[in-house]
Amino acid sequence: MKLPPGSYLPAACVAALALAPILVLIDLAAGADVLVGSQHLSLLINTIILMLGTALGALLIGVPLAFLLAFVRLPLARLWLVLLAAPLAMPSYIGAFTFYAVFGRGAELEQWIGLETPSASGMLGACIVMALYTYPFVMLSTRAALLSQDANLINAARILGLPLLQAMLRVALPRALHGVAAGALLAALYALSDFGTPAILNVDTFTRLIYVEYNAFGLSQAAVFSLHLLALVGLVVFIESRFSGMEERAGRSLTLHPGPLAQTVTLLSVLPIIALSLLLPLVLFSVWLVREGLASFDATVAVNSVVAALLAAAVAVLFALPVAVAAGRGRIGWLLERVTYLGFGIPGIVMGTALVYLGLKLPALYQTLVVLVLALVLRFLPLAVGALRGAIEQLDTSLYKAGRVLGAGPIELFTRLTVPLTARGVFAGAALVFLEAMRELPATLLLAPTGFETLATYLWRVYEAGLFGRAAIPGLLLVCLSGLGLALMLAGERRADTMPGSTGAEPC
Amino acid sequence: MKRRQFLHKALHSALVGSALATAGVTPSVGATSVDSLPPLKGKLTLYLGRGEGGLYENVLQAIQARNPDLELGIRRGPTAALANAIVAESKAGVRRADVFWAVDTGAVGLVSERGLARPLPAALTHQLKPQFRYPNFCPVSGRIRTLPFFTEAVTAGRIPQSIMALPDAGLSVGWAPSYAAFQSFVTAMRVLEGDTATERWLKAMKPVATPFAGELGVVLAVERGEVDVGFANHYYTLRLKAGKPDASVSLAFTREDAGCLVNASSVVALSDGALPVDFMRYLLTTEVQSYLADEAYEIPLIDGVAPPEGVPALDAIAPPRIDLTRLADLRPTLDLLRRTQVL
Repeated sequence: MKLPPGSYLPAACVAALALAPILVLIDLAAGADVLVGSQHLSLLINTIILMLGTALGALLIGVPLAFLLAFVRLPLARLWLVLLAAPLAMPSYIGAFTFYAVFGRGAELEQWIGLETPSASGMLGACIVMALYTYPFVMLSTRAALLSQDANLINAARILGLPLLQAMLRVALPRALHGVAAGALLAALYALSDFGTPAILNVDTFTRLIYVEYNAFGLSQAAVFSLHLLALVGLVVFIESRFSGMEERAGRSLTLHPGPLAQTVTLLSVLPIIALSLLLPLVLFSVWLVREGLASFDATVAVNSVVAALLAAAVAVLFALPVAVAAGRGRIGWLLERVTYLGFGIPGIVMGTALVYLGLKLPALYQTLVVLVLALVLRFLPLAVGALRGAIEQLDTSLYKAGRVLGAGPIELFTRLTVPLTARGVFAGAALVFLEAMRELPATLLLAPTGFETLATYLWRVYEAGLFGRAAIPGLLLVCLSGLGLALMLAGERRADTMPGSTGAEPC
Repeated sequence: MKRRQFLHKALHSALVGSALATAGVTPSVGATSVDSLPPLKGKLTLYLGRGEGGLYENVLQAIQARNPDLELGIRRGPTAALANAIVAESKAGVRRADVFWAVDTGAVGLVSERGLARPLPAALTHQLKPQFRYPNFCPVSGRIRTLPFFTEAVTAGRIPQSIMALPDAGLSVGWAPSYAAFQSFVTAMRVLEGDTATERWLKAMKPVATPFAGELGVVLAVERGEVDVGFANHYYTLRLKAGKPDASVSLAFTREDAGCLVNASSVVALSDGALPVDFMRYLLTTEVQSYLADEAYEIPLIDGVAPPEGVPALDAIAPPRIDLTRLADLRPTLDLLRRTQVL
């Protein structure tokens, strides 16, 4: 298929915008002399181990869950999906702190039930905690890829005698690999750029080096080290691009109907994940809430969070669409799409400062909701791009040819084919951006209107002050509101499914 | 918790109500009451730098409640991030903050270096104890470097009075080299003892020291008995003991060296006019200073206000005399910490 005229132009604009914070960093880094010590190498090795461990853990949890949520009909299916995706809205430092406080000698769990547990500190603990707060990346993108598959292929495989599990592994999984890879990439980049989790669990990574410089007022040095980290980010982003999607014929997706016993067993196997990632922090903070006594909480904080995150999700999807379309069309398009990922691998506080410099280019809008939303979009654009690209790659190009033959122009092709056929990717992307925006901290702190508090900034404030009990209510609200926002988007996804011409439409 | 609530109410009534409700505290020279201050009027944006557990929220709420005509906008963020934002704003010719309250003197140094800190009237700075008077920033409350120790295994007598003697004391130590307060402490040691002695000290300490991410972690590890003694700002231990009075941790102090450094959170005026300075006057009142001491465990820096329970008065311990602005010289400290592979 030839590229529709003009598809590169908006993509190039968005890519330039996504690159802008990195250019700011290059500018800030100029002239800084840094001491590259011998511990650089060991930090790099630790960082790579943490990244691989996190990605592996996220795959082990996320892929089976994606199969479950995509293909198996369960009671309250939407509730499970929402609950299983919600850890993405929970700041991972909260999770790490919870694990630190609950497990180990003399820790909370020993006080609750008298059981001495191994400490969560160390590389293994950090990988587990990181995986628990990043697996929804894998789960959501894999689920989207699986749902866009026509059930006929799997049914054919099973009729030809392949057992269900084999059919999943040999027919469904290979066609969803791009979704799996896209999710693993995001988990890996998150692990690369996160500071809180490794710091709390005492794992020395490259981000610690960056934070030490930043906090010692060495912004230029922090920028230099962040750019060093970019080499690793670039490599991971390149490797991931080797997994491309295949074209899929539109068709109804597979649905399995397990019996009541199988349903119960399935749901029970899901519970530990929810218990560890969501319930444990909420229970811990509630225990502290009882110890410390109730404090008042202003509900507008919750409204602020949802408004900013929803706006960011909507704008991010809009920006991501041309990039995702361009991605499949030639080397330049590929490059334009890849560069939008780089910012996601930069530690938040450095990125936040780069965004302050960018925001100040619009002095009239600096520290208004507009600049905050733009900053969130720039931080989380790759989440939307990845989800959309997955959906777009699977488009059956013969449909476009048919459209062309029938006389549709590029704009009509886009609005009548691309948009409805990629609706699922749009919602998956919006959901990812929404959840990440709910927990975003540094850019929100620096760029939100003065006095604009979100659940994430409130959580950070009470956590910093050591008033852990006060984290209980906002923590619970964060989970509930993220769930609600997600449920809204899923309703949109369902509506898209019933739209004529969409992937779930009646087969001809 | 009852004590906490009572104190909060007491502060509130002192600041909001007319009577001086802080019975038992007599304002001496330098200490003023909020009643003698002019009401604050107009728009004031405060960048509130956080970190190291500063608890200033209730003070700000009370000031706002007492001054209904004050439009106080607060932006909270990590101290370094806000300092960087202020620098970025000034480069772009934008000014959003009128006052910057930083937990760290390094942040103050960064902002003053760019010529952004406005000079302060002597009438304000002379309210402070003499060692805390500076021309263009105003220390508000102090924190003391302490040696929390595990009371089940160590007696206070085993901890040397000189920080330089600690490596030979046969104790295991917890420290947090990534933490800004620790880096300020090493900077103070460099200023007081010189780079060579500091390097030797770091090398001698390294084999007996276990690193932690933060100083809360250090104190928790001491309390669990994972290490004999730690380096931490005083308030982590006080807060831990407030929630858990039987905790197996107690505080030791060294004498006249970096081990007993008193660092301060400070405010800087970024815009001219009376309002930022008048706002600072509130922070130096008896009411605010004693609230910060009782409730946030901060060390008061004006005469006539008692330190928090569990910490001796500043005159009873022997902190080193050091110009706080010199603590901003962090770059050589980081290089030294790297060279000795402590960081």
